[in-house]
Amino acid sequence: MSGTVAIVEDEKTIRDTVAFALRREGYQVVAYADGAAAWESFQRSLPDLVVLDIIMPRMDGLELLRRIRGQSATLPVIFLTSRDEEFDRVLGLELGGDDYLCKPFSMRELLARVKVLFRRLALAAHPGDDAEQLLEVGRLTLDLRRYTAAWDGSALPLTVTEFMILHALAKRPGHVKTREQLMVEGYPHDTFVSDRTIDSHIKRLRKKFVAIDAGFDRIDTVYGLGYRWAQETA
Amino acid sequence: MSALSRLPVRLLAFNILLVFLPVAGILFLDTYERHLLGAQERTMSQEGRLLAAALEAGGDLDPVQARAILVKLGQRQLARLRVVDDAGAVLADSALLGPRRPAPEPAASPTPALRVPPQQRLLYLIGSLPFRLLRGAGDQPEDERDLIDADTGTLAGAEVRAALEGRYGAATRVLGDADRTVMLHIAIPIRIDGEVAGAVVVSQSTRRIMSTLYAVRLDVFRVFLASLAVAVVLTLIVATTIARPLARLRQRAGEILDRRGRLTGGFEPSRRRDEIGDLERALAELTRRLEAHLRHTESFAADVAHEFRNPLASIRTATEMALEVEDPEERRRFLEMAQRDVARMERLLSEAREISRIDAHLDEEDRGPVAVEALLGGLVESYRLRSGNGRTRFELEAAGERAMVAGSADRLTQVFDNLLANAASFSPPGGTVVVTLRAAAGQAEVVVADDGPGIPEEHRDRIFARFFSWRPEGPAAEHTGLGLAIVRAIVEGYGGRVSWRPRHPNGSEFVVNLPLASHPARSPAPAGAAEPAARAPLPDAHRDTR
Repeated sequence: MSGTVAIVEDEKTIRDTVAFALRREGYQVVAYADGAAAWESFQRSLPDLVVLDIIMPRMDGLELLRRIRGQSATLPVIFLTSRDEEFDRVLGLELGGDDYLCKPFSMRELLARVKVLFRRLALAAHPGDDAEQLLEVGRLTLDLRRYTAAWDGSALPLTVTEFMILHALAKRPGHVKTREQLMVEGYPHDTFVSDRTIDSHIKRLRKKFVAIDAGFDRIDTVYGLGYRWAQETA
Repeated sequence: MSALSRLPVRLLAFNILLVFLPVAGILFLDTYERHLLGAQERTMSQEGRLLAAALEAGGDLDPVQARAILVKLGQRQLARLRVVDDAGAVLADSALLGPRRPAPEPAASPTPALRVPPQQRLLYLIGSLPFRLLRGAGDQPEDERDLIDADTGTLAGAEVRAALEGRYGAATRVLGDADRTVMLHIAIPIRIDGEVAGAVVVSQSTRRIMSTLYAVRLDVFRVFLASLAVAVVLTLIVATTIARPLARLRQRAGEILDRRGRLTGGFEPSRRRDEIGDLERALAELTRRLEAHLRHTESFAADVAHEFRNPLASIRTATEMALEVEDPEERRRFLEMAQRDVARMERLLSEAREISRIDAHLDEEDRGPVAVEALLGGLVESYRLRSGNGRTRFELEAAGERAMVAGSADRLTQVFDNLLANAASFSPPGGTVVVTLRAAAGQAEVVVADDGPGIPEEHRDRIFARFFSWRPEGPAAEHTGLGLAIVRAIVEGYGGRVSWRPRHPNGSEFVVNLPLASHPARSPAPAGAAEPAARAPLPDAHRDTR
């Protein structure tokens, strides 16, 4: 699987290293030092996937995403953030980032996300394949190859991380998952994630469910332990 | 009752003492009583002397003549007059010459409305109780019976003996009656042909003047009670206007920190115009500044954390890649990248520490007068040496200005070093950095000018903000974004100003204004002059740092 990945990042070391690593994986890589330079190039041709820093001189990542979304609603975007408080803004439903990693991130984790997003992209282009990879838990449907989820038939716009955490919870309904377990499942290649990150993921997951179904209450908080996908009682 | 605790109680005690002291003086020290008794004694001795003089004029002490004189006096005197011979035997006694005429006495019954004598009224007894208890052991007047020798019927009191020895005698005696009336006796010698031939004894009851005194005392005691009531009322009023707002302030001060020690809310600035209003306003200002400072510290900490994540991310990805690649050249490249970012983190850490130290301790550092020209000269010279063969030229135009600035030489070096480094980094190859020093109007003005690209409009308001860094090209990462923030923190801490302006036709000019140390208008009160500017960076910096 190959495609063009754009890395937009003002930190030269990160930009070079990410570009190097992506090239080694066989992707075409274009690198930009700020949003304005990237946008100039994107207006001529869009890449297949964008890795985007948020805080940059000359047009930040959020503004660039807004402009990209004006051109393409589906172009996958992975954010690299260095501020906790930005997560909510970035991952709001309205902006539509597909995933994000918090600095300092793991390169292997980033490569894994890029791979997942490309697969999601490819499968979206060929619907009907691999129907046997569906996991159905009550009203929840998880497509394990496309990393997509649906509640009562309505698609949930989840990031890759959110999908993986939801999958970890839903595959064993009624069983409590600790934050540590969720971290391992949500970030299989990273070991530096704080448990607060899991809490904010859960918060956003619930929000996305509630946006579709106001009465949603399947994700339980088990105080002192972690979280649980509630078993269907009826 | 909380309104009467502590401060109000002290106020009340003070007020009562103020009222009580003069009253106690009058009542206890007997000034008035002694005054009255003295006046009475003088009157009596005058009467006695007149009588003695009249008797002396007769040339002989004759009882008949003495009685005749007493009769002539017409009983108009108030006192009892007795004439004794040199043995103390009574020759004449005004009391035995019939009842006294009712003398025209204006003070005879000063308070006719009083049905009860003043000294027997309940109020008087209550008021005088502590005095009677205190005076109980004082000197007692002599007994009236000692005046008359019981065996011979002659007058033999100490005052009479003194008079018969040629001296003036006086004594007070208590009459053995129910009222324990005090009698005042004086004795004047009668001299005939140089020999003491006898004495005149003048006796008068002190009852009249004492009853005047008692009436005065009663009045004073009434005034005292009224003053006491007024003092209590005044104290209560003062207590409510001082103690209650203070208690409210204390309560609010107690509530201002929650259980975890965080600031919750603050004081509302008061509209009161008194000292308590001042206190409330000062506390409101204090908490406002404290809050701004805490917010600033918090946001600074968040900024520092954020700034650390980029180099940390670089190091992590670079080392990760160094572990993965096979090619030793590639591995070396990634490790060098990591090393550069380690150095950058170190620089960031030390500059962040530096700026916190300036924020917290600049006021405590020594501020000797520093010769700016010498300092700039040394700096410019060192930049010339470092820049090598003319990559960038450095010039100093000081025009012989002898500008002295109050500050630490190290801090001022830091200011101009950062500005020179900044100018050098923007200066194109072959460019010139010009440093100009001028002293005028109590200010030293240093301009550091370069002929680089200048600063785009959209960044101009942020160039002194912490962690803001902008470069037209090349790696912004080399710069921590703290250099100019440190410049501003120091300059404003010293009561000066730093600003940026474009240079024509291209380039930047950084202008530093510092108050001259020798300037009379500024130097006597450097703290006051520096204060508003020193406070300013906190909220500003907070706003600027995204």
